[in-house]
Amino acid sequence: MSICEVRNLCKEYPGFSLSNASFSLEPGTITGFIGRNGAGKTTTIKAMLNIIHPSDGEVLYFGLPLSEHENEIKQRIGYSTGAVNYYPKKKLKELVSVTKTFYDSWDEGAYRQYLDLFSLDEGKSPSEMSEGMKVKCNLLLALSHRAEMLILDEPTSGLDPFSRDELTDLFLLLKDRGITVFFSTHITSDLEKCADHIVYIREGRIVLADTREQFHEKLGAPGETLEETMLRLEKEARHEKTAV
Amino acid sequence: MKKLLFKELRLSVATISYFFVAFALLAFLPGYPILLGSFFTALGIFYSFQAMRENHDIGYSLLLPVSKADIVNSKFAFSVFLEGCSFLIMVIVTVIRMTALKDSAVYRTNALMGANLVFLGYALLVFGLFNYLFIRGFFKTGYYIGKPFIVFCVVCMLLIGLAETLHHVPGLGWLNAFGSDHMGLQCAALCVGIACFALLTGAALKQSVRSFERIDL
Repeated sequence: MSICEVRNLCKEYPGFSLSNASFSLEPGTITGFIGRNGAGKTTTIKAMLNIIHPSDGEVLYFGLPLSEHENEIKQRIGYSTGAVNYYPKKKLKELVSVTKTFYDSWDEGAYRQYLDLFSLDEGKSPSEMSEGMKVKCNLLLALSHRAEMLILDEPTSGLDPFSRDELTDLFLLLKDRGITVFFSTHITSDLEKCADHIVYIREGRIVLADTREQFHEKLGAPGETLEETMLRLEKEARHEKTAV
Repeated sequence: MKKLLFKELRLSVATISYFFVAFALLAFLPGYPILLGSFFTALGIFYSFQAMRENHDIGYSLLLPVSKADIVNSKFAFSVFLEGCSFLIMVIVTVIRMTALKDSAVYRTNALMGANLVFLGYALLVFGLFNYLFIRGFFKTGYYIGKPFIVFCVVCMLLIGLAETLHHVPGLGWLNAFGSDHMGLQCAALCVGIACFALLTGAALKQSVRSFERIDL
């Protein structure tokens, strides 16, 4: 059974529409959500979390519709928009002391373990942390309540190559622990390293949602890297548009 | 709700909001428009909303396993809590002024509004207006605080001006009654204040939940 199923998600904005976005995520896998800036990645993720209201379609987690089981589902998933950008002057331990009261499944042992693994200092506030540490901060909060799935919007944006590498290593570690990771990015090299599946979105439409191998097979040309495939596809789409 | 209220008081509140609650003590001042004490409490709560916005509190709250309606309810609970603290101070001051200090010359010769049950009714009306005009206005966007606060300030100042004028109108002198004078009318005025607060806050909460649910963040 899929851990998350997105069915025909639609959202209209002036000048942009998300059209029938559909894909599913398997347990214990890493899925990269790629597309250029403005393609609809954040809109899709926000709709997947009920932060914006889709005009049509539905999202199911663990077989349960989000619209009817929002609180129950949010107990079991973790979400982050990249780095921690809230309460920048509060110490991590203060944020944790409040956040943990909301989760029935908060695991103090897991919190200490991830705190150690991520080398985070709970006496520091987000404003004193590097961008990479802020991303880890969000992951820490999500993982300490034993989230079975992480939804991360552009977690690697703004990180230096070393921090990105460290983060993708971390995703692989989480995958080994059975956690499903879904993250959006426009940095295709992150996907080459860790993604099992790729969901490719362009102008609000899902072009393909498949395994990384199938993605190469269906859309790539021989010898092309994922980045080259993406660039070629985007250029082709632009040319088609200007020709019309 | 308890968890969210704890979150509001631990994380979201601007410390200055607690300080502004103490402005309820202005009710002791003779020759001062004491209704401004409730305005200052509202101003203190406004600072907390400002801090919440600067700290991306809504974004943080959305990560938690709570609904959007819960977020709205908690902001109202937090505001009503601070208003309640302020009101409690005003009640204590009013009781002191209506009993131990009722014959004090400095209060007797005071041309401005005195602390009595009518004053408490007005204070509740100010809080109700704050909840309806400001908090409800904030939840229309979940972001903008300037316009709803200006609207509240204008209405509040007009109300304070009106309240300070009415007891000088012939026949309405009881509005500024001392001690237990005109107790029936004073109680009636307090009841009107309580009803206004309940109606305005209830309507604001209902409409805020509806509009916050509708907006895309």
